Amino acid sequence: MAKAQTARRWAQTARELDPLRAVWRLFTSVRWALILLAFLALAGLLGVLLPQIPGTVRGDGAAVADWLDVQRGKFGVFTDPFYRLGFFDVFHARWFAAGLGLLVVSVTVCTANRFFPIWRTIRHPRRRVPETYFQRAHHRVEFATPADPLALEGVLRRRRYRVERFQEGETTYLFADRYSWAQLGTFVSHLALILFIGGALVSKFTGFSEDMFVGEGTTAPVFAVSNPNQMQVRVVDTVARFDPQGQPLDYRSELAIYRGGEEVKHCTTTVNGPCAYGGYRFHQAAYFGFGAELQVRDLRSGNAIYNEVLALTDFMPAPHVIIRDGAGGTLMDATLVLTDFVETAYGTTVTIPGTDRTMWIGVRPDGSSGRLDLLFFEPGQDPDAVRLLLPEGQRAGAGGLGFEFVSLQRLPASFEPDFPLPPGEATDSTQGQVLLEMSNVVYGVEETSSGKAVAVSTQSGPPTLSVVGIGPVVLNLEPGQAASVGDYEYTFLGQREFAGIKVKRDRSDNLIWVATGLLLMGLGITFYVPRRRVWAKITPERTYLAGMAGHLANLRKEMGKLGAEAGSPDAAQEEERDGSP
Amino acid sequence: MDEPPPTPEHGDVDEAPQRRRAWAGPWRSVVLPLVVVAAIVGAIWYIEARGLPFVESGSSADSGGYGPLALPPDRNATGQDPSPAQGRAAPDFLLETLDGGTLRLSDLQGKAVLVNFWATWCRPCRSEVPHLVAAYERYRQEGLEIVAVNLQEDKDTVARFVDEFGMQFPVVIDRSGDVAEEYRAIGIPTSVFIDRSGVVRSIYTGPFVGQQSRQDIEESDLAQRIEEILR
Repeated sequence: MAKAQTARRWAQTARELDPLRAVWRLFTSVRWALILLAFLALAGLLGVLLPQIPGTVRGDGAAVADWLDVQRGKFGVFTDPFYRLGFFDVFHARWFAAGLGLLVVSVTVCTANRFFPIWRTIRHPRRRVPETYFQRAHHRVEFATPADPLALEGVLRRRRYRVERFQEGETTYLFADRYSWAQLGTFVSHLALILFIGGALVSKFTGFSEDMFVGEGTTAPVFAVSNPNQMQVRVVDTVARFDPQGQPLDYRSELAIYRGGEEVKHCTTTVNGPCAYGGYRFHQAAYFGFGAELQVRDLRSGNAIYNEVLALTDFMPAPHVIIRDGAGGTLMDATLVLTDFVETAYGTTVTIPGTDRTMWIGVRPDGSSGRLDLLFFEPGQDPDAVRLLLPEGQRAGAGGLGFEFVSLQRLPASFEPDFPLPPGEATDSTQGQVLLEMSNVVYGVEETSSGKAVAVSTQSGPPTLSVVGIGPVVLNLEPGQAASVGDYEYTFLGQREFAGIKVKRDRSDNLIWVATGLLLMGLGITFYVPRRRVWAKITPERTYLAGMAGHLANLRKEMGKLGAEAGSPDAAQEEERDGSP
Repeated sequence: MDEPPPTPEHGDVDEAPQRRRAWAGPWRSVVLPLVVVAAIVGAIWYIEARGLPFVESGSSADSGGYGPLALPPDRNATGQDPSPAQGRAAPDFLLETLDGGTLRLSDLQGKAVLVNFWATWCRPCRSEVPHLVAAYERYRQEGLEIVAVNLQEDKDTVARFVDEFGMQFPVVIDRSGDVAEEYRAIGIPTSVFIDRSGVVRSIYTGPFVGQQSRQDIEESDLAQRIEEILR
């Protein structure tokens, strides 16, 4: 006997030590699934609260090191440990992916483990229960049998129960079942969870995202050089709309998408309404209004040697100046495009209209504050020559004239290092680069393509491009206007806008939609489909009911109602009693 | 009324079939969950690889008979397989020209050939084109041919650019990108210098830059490489 007990204990121990069973026990545990969910939620919180390495930096060791240096100011000695633990790249960390994978396995094992018993109770329910069940069931009631013993069956059928009746002597047994398939609702929710995680993994491992910055009339490739699925995106037109306060209302672009040398899609993309082709979505992600298209032609051959749409991403100061005569009459009211560089000052030579006086007007940083002051300098030895320094917003008189520095504006500008210069010409004032400045820029009111000049205008008129650094002369070009320097002809073809286009492919989108639908369906079934299973034992004197329902149902009360509806004289008492016995 | 099933004397009614079940053997407890996981992974893989039927799918470019070709043995001066490497026979290809004709690289044997991979969207390529135009003007009489292989762009865009920049040499379009792939052009512009016998003499990735005067051209790296294949 003792030997047999020892053998059984050993067998039990061996079963518990079986690694397969141990793993199985772990993955069938709801507690383990909850721990995994909590872990992933915590990791997600970490990924939201801590700064994450930007996608453009990830994979570039030097760039990551620079990024970490910036973070060191905030996280100090914890920066490196956090980085090594993957806290700065949570959603790409292996431990995060492992957590997701474990959760998939856990949910799947739990589901598979519970599916067959539940399926069995749906397909082959127990139609008779032991007599003792009517005394022990969690949900049970008893009441005086109604005058019509079959009334209960009718009530159940009216309440959409499927009813089977059995007779044994004077006792009638009922088995009533309603919406038994609703027990599968939890599986639908589980499947949704698996698809959510699957979607995350699909997105992580196969997703594609590329940011493009494309000027109007130009094309950019989606992929690196030669890719069998290469596509090009041409921005035919891009438009921004603004409210009267200058706040952006809408960005949209007309796109042409090419593949294999053919235009395969022509569409309009907006911030919320992307173009789609070939599983890729082309979102309008940004807008930039300060661009200029410039062409350079070699007059000897007639060929273009340069044609670029340039983004003027820098800004140059442009002072708004008013000069008055002695009587207070306005001689000049203009915003100046500064084209000369003298040490720390930017300026330009201006001939005052209506006079023969010429002076150099520019801005110079104040030594202590760094504020830009306006400098008026009239050449010559005349004691009345103007030498004036004015802060913004102030006015003063000198040399018989009144000067006012109204405001300091900014002009879109760009320094172009590889700009073609006519043979023999050299830049001097801009350190070997050509400076492009655009005034009368169309921006900030209504629709930018409407042609209305606003905000950073120097005077009324079309956008004007100033090209500084091609020889001694500044070229001021209006759209379509050309100027020749040496053998080259420079033509400003017009202001151009840029569209920021984000190209994305994420097939997980479809999975996520399916998963969302399944989750809603699963939760809906679980919480709102009133599945019930009731057994009844009807004797001539008493009727006994026992049943099963979801956790939130008060089946006892419901069964009391059933009895009352069937005509039982004392079932109403059961109905009024709340809760289970 | 149904035949009454026997009343069970023993055994409880399973009020919680959703609770954890006992170990049901390796098939049901291990293999089945694994099969379910595999089915889900397989479905995701299928969706990823094939796409969903309601998702508009783009197909990769049809080469239409254009692309890399086998180099005829009588045109291979090296006796080795063609390869985009110095001292090896240049891989042959057939591509469509802008005017709708065709160009086969091996048909150009006897001339020095500069195969230039480029695209209008590539700024370094655009800056290089005037130098190629100048070099072509300078050396075409001596037997230089430049083949500008455009990468996968549409004909109209390329034709506009070619016209504007005065590209007089043949421009062909590699619609599928297979020729660029064959030449391992991982960045553009890439220039392959091929001598009169069809052998690659040098490969240069990046733009040739400088001024466009004839004197500058003759002193440039581009000219030195051209003169090497003209010899």
